[in-house]
Amino acid sequence: MQRMLVNLLGSIKTEFLNFSHSEKFYFVLGAIAIGAVIPLFLSEYVVGEVLTTMIIFALYASSWNLLAYSGQGSLGHAAFLGIGGFASALLAIKLSVPPLFGLFLGSLFSAAIGLLIGLACVRLKAWFLAMVTFGFSVIIVTLISQFDAIMGGIMGFPTPLLVERGLAFYYMTFALVAASIFVMYLVMKSKMGLAFRAIHENELEAKMIGIDTAKYRLLAFVLSTFFAGLAGGLFAQSIRYIQVSVFDPYYSFLPLMMAVIGGLRTMEGPIIGSVIIVSIDSFLPRIDPILQGLMGPLFPSISNVGPPLRLLSLGLFLVIVVIFFPKGVTSLLHKVYSYFRTNEKKVDNNDGN
Amino acid sequence: MVNKKLLAAIVIVIVIVAASAAVWQLMLVPSEQTVKIGLVACYDKAEGQDMDRAAKMAVKEINDAGGVYVADLDAYLKIELVIADTEDDSPGKAVSPVTRAILEDGVDLLVGGYTSSGTLADQVVAIENRVPYIITGASSSLVTRRGPQGNYGGLPEGDPLRIADAEGMSYMFHYCTTTYDYSKTVANFFADSMKPLLDSTYGFAASRELRLAIIYRDDAFGKGVVADTKSIIANNNLPIDVVIERSYPTTATNFQTDLTAIKDAKPDAVYVVDFIAGTAEIIKQGQRDVGLNTVYIAVECCEDPQFYTLLGTYGDKQLLESKFAPYAGPPFYLPIIGTYVTTYQQTYDTLPGMMGADTYDAFYIAKDAIERAGTLDKAAVRDALESTAMDQLLIITETGKIEFSTGATYHEIAPVTFVEQLVWNENVGECRSVIVYPATAPGVPTLKQADFVLPTGYQPGSP
Amino acid sequence: MITISGLIETLLWGVANGCIYILLATGLNIIFGVMKLVNFAHGQLLMIGAYVAFAAVTAFGLNAYVAILVAIVAVALIGAGLERLTFRRVLGTDKLNEIFVSLGLIYVIENIAVLLWGNKYKQIQSPFQGLRLSLGEVSIGYDRLLAISVVIVILVALFILIKKTKIGLAMRATSQKSETSMLMGVNIEKVYIFTFALGAALAAAAGALYGIIFPFYPGIGALPTIKAFAIIILGGLGSIPGAVIGGLLYGIAENTAVYFLGGIWQDAIAFALLIIVLVIRPTGLFGEKGE
Repeated sequence: MQRMLVNLLGSIKTEFLNFSHSEKFYFVLGAIAIGAVIPLFLSEYVVGEVLTTMIIFALYASSWNLLAYSGQGSLGHAAFLGIGGFASALLAIKLSVPPLFGLFLGSLFSAAIGLLIGLACVRLKAWFLAMVTFGFSVIIVTLISQFDAIMGGIMGFPTPLLVERGLAFYYMTFALVAASIFVMYLVMKSKMGLAFRAIHENELEAKMIGIDTAKYRLLAFVLSTFFAGLAGGLFAQSIRYIQVSVFDPYYSFLPLMMAVIGGLRTMEGPIIGSVIIVSIDSFLPRIDPILQGLMGPLFPSISNVGPPLRLLSLGLFLVIVVIFFPKGVTSLLHKVYSYFRTNEKKVDNNDGN
Repeated sequence: MVNKKLLAAIVIVIVIVAASAAVWQLMLVPSEQTVKIGLVACYDKAEGQDMDRAAKMAVKEINDAGGVYVADLDAYLKIELVIADTEDDSPGKAVSPVTRAILEDGVDLLVGGYTSSGTLADQVVAIENRVPYIITGASSSLVTRRGPQGNYGGLPEGDPLRIADAEGMSYMFHYCTTTYDYSKTVANFFADSMKPLLDSTYGFAASRELRLAIIYRDDAFGKGVVADTKSIIANNNLPIDVVIERSYPTTATNFQTDLTAIKDAKPDAVYVVDFIAGTAEIIKQGQRDVGLNTVYIAVECCEDPQFYTLLGTYGDKQLLESKFAPYAGPPFYLPIIGTYVTTYQQTYDTLPGMMGADTYDAFYIAKDAIERAGTLDKAAVRDALESTAMDQLLIITETGKIEFSTGATYHEIAPVTFVEQLVWNENVGECRSVIVYPATAPGVPTLKQADFVLPTGYQPGSP
Repeated sequence: MITISGLIETLLWGVANGCIYILLATGLNIIFGVMKLVNFAHGQLLMIGAYVAFAAVTAFGLNAYVAILVAIVAVALIGAGLERLTFRRVLGTDKLNEIFVSLGLIYVIENIAVLLWGNKYKQIQSPFQGLRLSLGEVSIGYDRLLAISVVIVILVALFILIKKTKIGLAMRATSQKSETSMLMGVNIEKVYIFTFALGAALAAAAGALYGIIFPFYPGIGALPTIKAFAIIILGGLGSIPGAVIGGLLYGIAENTAVYFLGGIWQDAIAFALLIIVLVIRPTGLFGEKGE
């Protein structure tokens, strides 16, 4: 046991040192710096609503992405978002568990349910799994509605706060999310991560090499749902309310859209996707009155063309990305970056060495 | 190692982002001072759009007449309407627009709210930020009673819906009926008006109880009505027997099977508890598809043009509990109704609905409160709201005045509701309505316009 | 208070609903059997079918049942377009890509419908509205009976198409082994477009019938898709008889459950069944065909 811990710490240290020599390290450092500093420049609303939401959904999308690394595409992740939210809120309210502890217990509970669902999905092919996970997220709404007394039924209930909203909540969320994503990074760098990738690439071959695909698929499920549950607990805190609408299919599609648009199966993809989509949802409503003025007459059946136009654009965006940029926005960013780098090299070489 | 160009690029990006953020902030500064009132409405639904139209009409009327007089600025300020579109009014979607309206747009006051769960969630932001909120929707009385002043609405200790912040709760005002209000009218109508008619038409014994079926949407609203109806029947010993209850998920559109089960229970009447779309479907499907030829009664949130359009001929002789009846006239039971309906129709080429009427009144209540407070300071406006004593507007009240109570029914009004019967009108190709119960109301000497009659082809329940 | 007449009516309702599910599930199965493609936006094609039929009736005054043909043709074309523009490009790549594309299409199709027609409920007016056939205590609307008849006609036509025509032969060949059929000179691309259009046409027919019996709005596509998937998993992937029997049984089961337990369980029954079956038999009740 102790040796395992020492090995673990040792490998974390090696990983960290390796990473710190790569260029990505500076990007990550830069991102963390921006994340830490930007709230001081922005209004309370933007920080509290927009940035916090971006970060929470970055975690949520990353959790979905983690599962996708192993080739399992869940269409019902909202179930775990909701389970995490309800569990952590209920623990805090009914059993007076301190909220921070409640967050973790909620995530563990979500992971436990994830284990059960994962067991059911272990041998399922891609779209069977999608169906079952989606089905689960629907059934859970019916189940919860039956337990009104505890779950607050369709009305839901407010969540007890961990920290006051605003800057403090933002930093706490930022820290939790950054830590979680770091853990996911470590997982992907480890043997487990390799196994995930192998399973996704060719499950049959993976089995032939001797990888226990069932075990690793389950592990992916448990880890993914743990973090989805954590995101759920944070989400419940951020909107200060938990209610069955959190299980809507929309919340199952969101992490998928974010991860795919940002860059499927990359660490930075879900984060980029979250930033993009939350920005669209938060800032674009401002131009709704203008849109209504321009396009209202074209579409007389609705009073506010904004929301359907936004959703339509998201759908279109997803389709275009999948067809033309299957590696997501992040691949575009990489191309831009390497364009600058190659120009560097040319200049450096010309300097003579 | 790290090259300088990359570092420079990162720094430039940070600078650009920070600069844009600063510019964005600056852009939010308004040009001329106005009274900012936020409208919390769900534009996904017909009711939300009705609220939007009514709100814009009220704002235009007030602004055209000069605006709102604010004494400590010694000026007439125009009202600026800030829209907080809650889309489908689920808590996940309702909180954000309201937060934006309060923190970004800096509204002085909020009007609106539609569903109970959406409003219970979005009002928290207003409570914490001490923004007066005139809630014109949300049938749950918890919106004002969940705090100390309302004895926490009877919620048990430790229930998360309880709010201890008395100061914050004092900013909440409920200008709407509650599920109790309308269930009371419906139950009394059945006992006082329908049962005698049934007894005399079919020769039933006076001891026979009226057989009532309730079909309701499975949420706080639906369940609330069922609970309230049963307790009213019990507490007042009304001769009504709830023979069957069926509920369905809020997203359902097909009710045929549930209606078949209700048909099996042989009721005298069916109480439908849902919003416009669901209720219209139930009434249509019941008659057209299942052959359940009874009388259906809908609740007041269906009082909207879309309801009449959706029902078509199937609405003939059906009942609607309401507190605002734009279809029962002309002539109307109150002159102000006539004026409102005519103006609305001329402006928007459609008849108004109930949610809009509440909203319209609320803007005038807000104007009255601000003018009496003499300032835009929210605490003063709150105090002025609490001491409102205006003459009733579109909604009839038990005292003829608009007053917010300060007792355990905290910050509520005492509205009068009535029952209308729809009548098919060949000329307009839609149903119109007549008020059938009760006979009078405060400030309205003749409320009842016609007697209640049983629908053609009506079949009573089994004796 | 459960009466025999109530039960019989519930059963008949179930058969009518089941017929709509049959069309949807069959369309899905055909697409899957031939193209190995998963179209999560199938329910949205049903929805568009309903709206097209509605538009045909209100704008051109067509009979509701004639409008079914209009819907079939229009949506078949839309389906062909979708296949050519989007699905074609992701076939052969990561399986998940097909799912992603169809998810994106769900939002696109649904919101186009919202923009064009709004959120209010609509229903297609049938000339037989309100007319009922009565046999003693039991009565059933004419529209319900017509729906069942229409579905039978369509299934017969489908059977003829698949068993007796050249394109049907090509489809069957492709569903068995696409490489072999390519070697034999079958134009795979043409088969794919035709198959998808056919599946879409069946969905549109389901939608046009749905629109006569039930009220609809842009969001109704989601649940039928799930139910259709549940049916084809239970009935066996790629198996048309399975889809027919499964659809019928599912409609009856769903309605009976609602009659006894109440509307709340309407949708959950599907998934409960689904999850149970998948856990016990990951390949479905009748096993897979050609996967």
